[in-house]
Amino acid sequence: MIDMSLNEVETLSTKAARGAGFSWGQAEEIGRAARRIAVEDGGWGFAMLSLVENAHFFQPPDLARVARWRNGEADVATGRPLCPIRTAALLLDDPPPAGVMPLTIFDVGLPIWLDAMLRRSKMRLAHPVGLRTSRADVVIERSVDIWQPVAGRRGAVDQQTLTALNSFAVRTYVPESERSRVRGAGGVRVDDE
Amino acid sequence: MTAIALRPPQVVMRLQRLGAAHPTRLSFLRQLIRRAAKERWRVRKERFELDDHGFGRAVYAVETPGRIYSLVAFSTPLDDDKRSDRVIAQAWDTSYVLYDGLPDAAEIARLEENAPLQEAGRFTNRELVLARANKSVRLFEAVAAALAQGRQPVEEQLLGVGYLLRTTAVYGNGKFGIADRDEIASRPELSGSFQAEMLTIWLIRSFTLDLVDHIAHRRNPTGAARLAPDLRRALGVGNATGLGMAPFLVRHPLLTHSWFLARETALARVRAEPHAGEAERKAFSGALADLRQRVARWHSDDIRQSAATRSLADDLDTLAENLDHLLTKPRPWDALYRFAEEQFSLEGQEACVALILEPHGALIDELGETMKADETPGHAIDGSMSCGTLRQAILDCYSWATSIDFAGPAANARFWYVSAEKLEPRLGERFEEDGAELEQPLATARDAINLAAALAQGPASSRVAEFLLRRPEWRHAVRRAQIVASFPYAEIHDNLIAADLRPVDILRAKLAFFGARSFDPRSDRWLRIALFGGEPLIEDVASTAPDGEAA
Repeated sequence: MIDMSLNEVETLSTKAARGAGFSWGQAEEIGRAARRIAVEDGGWGFAMLSLVENAHFFQPPDLARVARWRNGEADVATGRPLCPIRTAALLLDDPPPAGVMPLTIFDVGLPIWLDAMLRRSKMRLAHPVGLRTSRADVVIERSVDIWQPVAGRRGAVDQQTLTALNSFAVRTYVPESERSRVRGAGGVRVDDE
Repeated sequence: MTAIALRPPQVVMRLQRLGAAHPTRLSFLRQLIRRAAKERWRVRKERFELDDHGFGRAVYAVETPGRIYSLVAFSTPLDDDKRSDRVIAQAWDTSYVLYDGLPDAAEIARLEENAPLQEAGRFTNRELVLARANKSVRLFEAVAAALAQGRQPVEEQLLGVGYLLRTTAVYGNGKFGIADRDEIASRPELSGSFQAEMLTIWLIRSFTLDLVDHIAHRRNPTGAARLAPDLRRALGVGNATGLGMAPFLVRHPLLTHSWFLARETALARVRAEPHAGEAERKAFSGALADLRQRVARWHSDDIRQSAATRSLADDLDTLAENLDHLLTKPRPWDALYRFAEEQFSLEGQEACVALILEPHGALIDELGETMKADETPGHAIDGSMSCGTLRQAILDCYSWATSIDFAGPAANARFWYVSAEKLEPRLGERFEEDGAELEQPLATARDAINLAAALAQGPASSRVAEFLLRRPEWRHAVRRAQIVASFPYAEIHDNLIAADLRPVDILRAKLAFFGARSFDPRSDRWLRIALFGGEPLIEDVASTAPDGEAA
């Protein structure tokens, strides 16, 4: 196992998420959520790899479905699991009215990510979900406290998972051309004093 | 007392002015020195196991009221042709970690296997900072040779460079497995911005001075001189900084805002002072004399910087001639600043800001405590805002960018990317190089203006949350726009992908907040600087006055 700092977990997760096709803004939030998973659970690498490998299977919530949530009407699943990132982003950006809580949402893909994303708010999942839960119905309720980071935690990951995550991260890098290699960060001279 | 308005971001946050920034008493190394002096930190050399050539290991332990930290230093042979300031280098003269506590022999052995490898090594949360430095070869050897002959080096040659070793990277916050910032953020001595990094460099400074003394002594055990105390104090640590640091101010908008807000608040407070007391006048004159001396030694081959330095020297001459007159006016510090604003170059104006703050520690030093921000949780997006409101906020905050034609090649000439080879930020030419589709989200002005256009395509009354559900590609720009609307110093007011962008301007602004001096641009993308030159040595700090000045 490789012992990583939480900053390394966040940075790698952000890059891998972007490499998997999430937007920059979403990728940044995924990185921060990965950090929360790493603090609380040893399996952040597994969770991250599941997310980037399955990103294209998920669908975002549509406006009609969001309107039902906000109106307190029963949710209706569509057959494809909801993207946990886009669902969480919507709930965070514009929290549902207090009157519709607890809110039941059907068929959320990889709900561990919905849980991790919501932890920076005063919402949480009413029932814990496991790292390996691929899709589930969830109940969102109000939380008294906002999650606070815990110092001294690290994020272990096995080499195979790390390699797989790096294969997504590398999609965000630009290979060096001869011109850019020469220009680089600007300096080409060795010490001259 | 009537308040003076803060200089607005449209003045402060322009690249040309950022590229003229000077260190102030709020700079991070000054904050560290003040705390160390106040708390009487003590340093002891735990190990100094170097051979005749200065190769080996050393441990310097610093005792703070709460904890001990150790600089673990390794000095290793390096062929001259491998000595490079660039981040692509793979070997260095010296390597360092700032260790949390006092390392035992097993820990030193572990660090000796990893620290010289830098990025290729692996580290733990006992290491707070990782760094490396190369000798300024010609000068280092000249100093060692002079001392070995029993004489002091030529002062002008020594102070013209200003340092014996130059760091080429100083890593913190979890890089390569070292401790996350979260782990030290609650420790008073390291909670401020870049305090662990500044402590590391301060200790490296003492090691470099001891290293040259050691080599001279080994060459001539009976006749070598030790570097004179005034020269030791005059020397600092060099640093070479390139593009890797440039995106920091863009990626940390809340922190950037906090730094500039503190400095501008300090300036406004001092300008509002009704009178200049005798002690303040004396301190100002001392600071002005010191700066004039530094400017006289400030050398750069860069044509723009050398011209700016000449203008600065002229400005400071003019200031000295008019000082007595200006300080007799009502609100003398405001009069002085306005005189500089009307008469001086940007370099002169920003130097005046630093000078004006210098005598006023009692009035402004507590602002140092505000120069931090926790960006770890991320800034929440207000999705309940209407698209029309957000669009108007963007047009207000980015009014300076609305006239830029981002469809034109000059305004859209560059793109920021991460190099696959070094995993470092680079700046590409959009119309000449491949890879623009992998652009990093650093084109702040272009993205804000294009976001405003995208918002205009839908109903003004619709909610931002719904817009982002349909258009998630704008998420980063929406967050940034909402931050900038609330934190006005969070944004650089220039186009960061323009053909005429000079990244060294961004680098200088950040380095000035560190406390850097002697800015020496080597191109438009990297520069050399010096840190801690003229400041107390860490081993002397327990005997300095609480404000960090020599007792």
